[in-house]
Amino acid sequence: MSSPKQMPPEYYQQLEEIQMVDFAIVELNLYLDTHPDDYEAIKQFNSLTYESRKLKKNFEKQFGPLMHFGRSYSQYPWQWDDQPWPWQV
Amino acid sequence: MSNTYTKYYYPYISPFDPCKPIIRKSYPTPPQMYLGFQPPNLPQFEIKEALYRGTLWPALYSKYDKKDYRGEYDE
Repeated sequence: MSSPKQMPPEYYQQLEEIQMVDFAIVELNLYLDTHPDDYEAIKQFNSLTYESRKLKKNFEKQFGPLMHFGRSYSQYPWQWDDQPWPWQV
Repeated sequence: MSNTYTKYYYPYISPFDPCKPIIRKSYPTPPQMYLGFQPPNLPQFEIKEALYRGTLWPALYSKYDKKDYRGEYDE
């Protein structure tokens, strides 16, 4: 039995891009907790959130769900338990 | 107080200490210790850069590099 399908390079590129955007979102989120009236930061936060959702939507169309319990769609057959799991990526 | 990434101190070395004496010890002093309340609109890293730097703002970036962090050395 040969090893399961290898993920294409785009898989890793898109994942890294999602990580980049999500890290900046976490930073801004924590910053905004203590600076609620920083308008520039909120604008940046919203634009990054929009970007993040777009990237994830595009990623999930190609490679299956990133999240479960209704936070991502799945194609047929059920993809949630497909490899690679997060620690196998 | 100069904001450095690491500060050092020199512990007392007892003549009866059986182990090899540690002359100098160090502790991390990252920038956020000197910053106080973060001012708005600080300059930011590029988003990709920020991921690898571990922070969105250069003012808060700290190396934490292993080599210098412990800084202990014996004789």
